[in-house]
Amino acid sequence: MRLRGLLARLQPRRTIRPTRDGWWCLGAAVGLGLAAVNTGNNLLYLLASLLLALIVVSGILSEQSMRRLGLRAVIPDEIYATRPVQLGARVRNGKRWLPSYSVALEAGAHRLYVDRLAAGAERLVTWETTFPRRGRQRLPGVRVLTRFPFGLFLKAGRVALDTDVVVFPTARPLDETWRRRLTASGVRSLPRRGRGHDLYSLREYRIGDDPRLVHWPSSAKTGELIVRELAAETATNTRIVLVGDGTRNATRLEAALSEAASLAIHVLDSGAAVELAGPGLHVPSGRGRGHRWRLLTALALYDPALAMTPIPRRSSGVSEIEVTLG
Amino acid sequence: MNPLRSRALAAAIYVLVADGVAALFLGGLVGGPGLALITVLVVGSWWQEALRQRLTRVPRLGPVLLGLAGAGVVVEIAVGAVGLLDVFTHLLVFLLLVKLYTLQTLRDARDVAFLAFFMLVAASPVTTSVVFLGLFVTFVVVGTWLLMFRHVLNETDVVPGPTARIGREILELALAGSAVTVLVTAVLFVVIPRVGLAALPLRTQGSRSVSGFSEHVRLGSFGEIEADATVVMRVRLTSLTGGGVPQQLPSLRWRGVAFDHFDGRTWTVSPATLRLTLRRNRSVAFPVHQYTGGPVLTQEIDLEPLESPMIFGAPRVLSVQGRSDLVVVDDLGNVAVPLPIARLRYTVESQPEMGTPRRVRIAEARTPSDPRWHARYTQLPRLSPRVGALAREVTAGSADAHEAARRLTAWLSRELRYTRTLERPAGDDPLEDFLFVRRAGNCEYFAAALAVMLRSLQVPARVVNGFQRGEWNPYGDYFMVRLRDAHSWVEVFVDGAGWITFDPSPRGPAEVETPAAAASLWLDSMRTTWQRYVVSFSLYDQLTVVESLRRATWAWSAVALRPAQWPPRARAATAGAGLLAVGAVALLWRRRRRAAPVSVVPVFYLQALRLLARRGLTPERGETAREFAHRAAGAAWAAPLASLTGAYERVRFGGAALTGAELAVVHADLAALTKAVRARRT
Repeated sequence: MRLRGLLARLQPRRTIRPTRDGWWCLGAAVGLGLAAVNTGNNLLYLLASLLLALIVVSGILSEQSMRRLGLRAVIPDEIYATRPVQLGARVRNGKRWLPSYSVALEAGAHRLYVDRLAAGAERLVTWETTFPRRGRQRLPGVRVLTRFPFGLFLKAGRVALDTDVVVFPTARPLDETWRRRLTASGVRSLPRRGRGHDLYSLREYRIGDDPRLVHWPSSAKTGELIVRELAAETATNTRIVLVGDGTRNATRLEAALSEAASLAIHVLDSGAAVELAGPGLHVPSGRGRGHRWRLLTALALYDPALAMTPIPRRSSGVSEIEVTLG
Repeated sequence: MNPLRSRALAAAIYVLVADGVAALFLGGLVGGPGLALITVLVVGSWWQEALRQRLTRVPRLGPVLLGLAGAGVVVEIAVGAVGLLDVFTHLLVFLLLVKLYTLQTLRDARDVAFLAFFMLVAASPVTTSVVFLGLFVTFVVVGTWLLMFRHVLNETDVVPGPTARIGREILELALAGSAVTVLVTAVLFVVIPRVGLAALPLRTQGSRSVSGFSEHVRLGSFGEIEADATVVMRVRLTSLTGGGVPQQLPSLRWRGVAFDHFDGRTWTVSPATLRLTLRRNRSVAFPVHQYTGGPVLTQEIDLEPLESPMIFGAPRVLSVQGRSDLVVVDDLGNVAVPLPIARLRYTVESQPEMGTPRRVRIAEARTPSDPRWHARYTQLPRLSPRVGALAREVTAGSADAHEAARRLTAWLSRELRYTRTLERPAGDDPLEDFLFVRRAGNCEYFAAALAVMLRSLQVPARVVNGFQRGEWNPYGDYFMVRLRDAHSWVEVFVDGAGWITFDPSPRGPAEVETPAAAASLWLDSMRTTWQRYVVSFSLYDQLTVVESLRRATWAWSAVALRPAQWPPRARAATAGAGLLAVGAVALLWRRRRRAAPVSVVPVFYLQALRLLARRGLTPERGETAREFAHRAAGAAWAAPLASLTGAYERVRFGGAALTGAELAVVHADLAALTKAVRARRT
């Protein structure tokens, strides 16, 4: 780590290379310099000095634009393979007095442009990208660069934000087959409002309520319109079991992991607890956002080569759905 | 993007084109008809959008036009009718017109800027005019703006992203950038060593010579003498030892050439004159006369080419220093250099005549005992006896040669009239005609008459040609000496004092010229500064700058820590700079306060997070503020946290500033949160 830090320090803070116009400018400066030396003509010296001064001023202004620019990654919590995702970076001008002009952010093949960033200001730039496969992946990194002010030189900062992200398997809405399998495993009411069938509570009618929900006996009794609020429903707590190890058919493995992820999301969204078990992985039953993240991470990082741990036993009162890895 | 869609960019392109074409005209690379034709074509291109569109659709137009240009260059070189620079100029003009009639992209705008720049390059070897400075500065300002603006437009074309209208800021930035560019250019110009080889001159062309100064004095001519106002010399008086204001020295004049031989009509330098050629490998002063005491006046002289090898300086010249490594000095005190084809700049140290020469007794200035010397300076042709008789009559009773010379000078000034209109002499002897018939003439007649009359009295005398002091230019602190200031006077040898100047010419009302207007003087000063510090800048000047800096550094380091010893100007400048700095900082601080961005996370919410962190409650990665507040449901701080979260969301995402009442609620919530957290702890 220490060596890596040292090497990182040895890297130049900025790289600079002439653009096509810059090469022309440098060539013209050298040519004029030679002509000036050859003729001793002071006006040629003056014009050669002008070109060199343009290069100097270009360096000063571009450095001024790049100085104290900070980057912070904006990465969504959940990234799914083959699904477009918005990545972003917050670029902040940390200078106290001076704005930055004409700064571009390069993230892989994407380039984004900020024409002005006031002193102390921050701007969010985003770009859309798609990760083709699940698993731990490295972001391409973001580089701040500028051709300001004359377009003669391209000055670029170090690559930043080249961090790892976990890309979850592709999640899709469940198809009818899976819905039926889930319904067959039982539905129960939850102690919160929803769109189920059981009564949750009664309350006064508000504009926009579905007239079909008016509870006429209560309305007649109180003399005001009273509507029913229905309870939410959920499937029963579910255990998703990955069958097989997926070593035989890679395509089937990816499809199965995608199905498992879709199932887990659906069940969790309906309020039930989900347990995940399979060769080499086990996520105990749980609910909530954190649990969802754990489940999806386990699926994202599933490696058939490490699938050696036996599948734990099933608990009572939990429906089980098998997903074959192939 | 078509650059002509932006009016500002289009205007900048045409200003640069005008700048480049003007440079070609200034350098004489384009004549009047050529300029008119180019102007018509350039102006016409402004309205030719339809033609531009059609031309861009013509297949292979670019290669065809380039082929045409190449063929034109080859033909011009083969024919050999013009020089390389002219071929280059024609190519530039052709390419410029092609670009203007096919202008479609921002890259074309850049190309036009480059072509305009190369037009300045083409003009640079063939002009030394100060107008070039104006064209140069125009190019820097407009070109800087064009390059900046083009860059921004280009980037927004290529890279999509959030943009703001920053045209005005780019203008301000370009102005500041061009000022810095000019400054850096000036520094680089001074610093880059002048090691010119001059191996391949593009076009040999010297400066325009000025005729009118004569290396002899010929009497008998007739006609009207033209009062030519052409400036032939600029004299800067850099120092006068012994105190006094140098430009207020009486009878300042610039001695050129002295004549010792008179044939009755013409004064010339006799063939017997001894000449000494001095050579120096290094840039050191050439000695001319020996210093005999008294103040020394140093002059820095810029002399236009006069078709004469003579150089000028205030009499009596002690030394000469310039870029020439060869000087010819003769025993008349004349100094010559190889005939200069360009403006000559040199420094002269002189020992001006001060006080009464009769009181001076200089051992080296005794009358030589050599009879040949005496014969040389009293040589006369056959003259009318009336001239000698008149001299004797006027000088009767004079104690010595000096008094005789003074009396004759006074008589000539008083009794004869100065005129520029010379009539045909009545007889063969123009001098006799001047003294006894016309009784009027120009300075040459007066000088010749005095010298001849003194020689008739056996007093050594010689006629000198040079220039009167000229007109003082207060803007540049130098004398502007014009061709009409050409003058003749007499040097008389006074035993013990040497050669003393006598000027019998009464150049009175007839010589009074209308003084130059202030604007004219200012322009001349600017022109001189340009010539001195840019066109004629040399390795010698660079060394001088380094030496001056070194001396100034030493001098300042000695007094810098003692402000009481600073000169009043330095104190005032330091105080002014300090005030400016304070003002600038205050202005920037005010602007920054006005433009201070709203904090991304409101302070009150950060305080709340800090309080909860003490209880080990921190938002998880990716957890929103509302989710965090929900997580705290049931805790003692749930209610104030929910309220603070609502306020946070309004400020952070709604961009709303809190009202006074809302702030009071926020403070109350913070107090409640603090109380709840502390209560749990206890």
